[in-house]
Amino acid sequence: MPAARHEPGRRSIPGMSDTTEPAEPALEEIELTDEERVVLARVAEVLRRINFGTVVLVVQDGKVVQIEMAEKFRLR
Amino acid sequence: MSDATATLTPPAREAGVPKLSVDALTVERTLASGERIVAARDVSFDIAAGEFVCLLGPSGCGKTSILNVLAGLDRPSAGRALLDGSPIVGPGPDRAVLFQDPALFPWLSVRANVELALELIGVDGQDRRERARAALASVGLDDLLDAQPHELSAGMRQRAALARALACEPSVVLGDEPFGVLDAQTRELLQNEVQRAWMGSGGRTTFLFITHNVREAVLLADRVLVMSARPGRLLEEFRIHAPRPRDLDDVLVGRVVSEIHALMLRELERPDA
Repeated sequence: MPAARHEPGRRSIPGMSDTTEPAEPALEEIELTDEERVVLARVAEVLRRINFGTVVLVVQDGKVVQIEMAEKFRLR
Repeated sequence: MSDATATLTPPAREAGVPKLSVDALTVERTLASGERIVAARDVSFDIAAGEFVCLLGPSGCGKTSILNVLAGLDRPSAGRALLDGSPIVGPGPDRAVLFQDPALFPWLSVRANVELALELIGVDGQDRRERARAALASVGLDDLLDAQPHELSAGMRQRAALARALACEPSVVLGDEPFGVLDAQTRELLQNEVQRAWMGSGGRTTFLFITHNVREAVLLADRVLVMSARPGRLLEEFRIHAPRPRDLDDVLVGRVVSEIHALMLRELERPDA
């Protein structure tokens, strides 16, 4: 049985320069699918609601299936 | 994306009167030596109908004192405790209380313990039998209906107490560390039973549980209220919008648990604490 070969991903390693990575596109150049727009709009809706807390996106099979969040309030 | 943001909507908070309300509550205790100590000082919070709230804090911070006032077992030294907007003056069948000790009558079978609770609120014979059976089946005790409490494990006894509480269909369930003495595995099973019971109540039942187990609080509650050390005051509130049943491995649960742990540690390390 041939040994499994490790295929390194194309991610750059933090702290090391990687000239082969394309420069990050400007925000307005990112093309979004309709589905991505829906997800991002909902994330924005959540972010507008909370001042302190945590937002978690649950992804299954490449799709965001759930947005969870916890808000924190100081009472003292 | 499925209806993801639906999970972000807390239970409907009616604009009107909260189910439970604690208003500037102070509870003092007298020790055997005659010394008066302040268990909780100037605590205020509201709980909407159908909400699940956990009150969390270190030992001696007055959590139990507040719960006892809401159960009608104790009177506040100052401030008010309200149920549906009316002052609480004593215990009532609208509020079931789960204690650390299951408090079953040892001479009655499991079924008879539940039936007695139903009899006391005026449920008729046949209906009583059926409701007791259904309540015990919902916590997985349908094959032990005729067992005596001493024949059951601690976890099973606490399940029977949960069944007895839910069979009476109270509008409020108050829990004072109900799983405190159980082993970790049984505790998790019962936490799942409670999650299921809350989901099954369809927003009709309001739960307030007292615990010093952070993971339990975050797993169960819509809101976690964190109290300081004695005299207990409210420090922070965490509103958790995540679907149920939750799992202790959920990322959000883990994250909030560590945040609350850090908060409680800071509180304990305060120079004036």
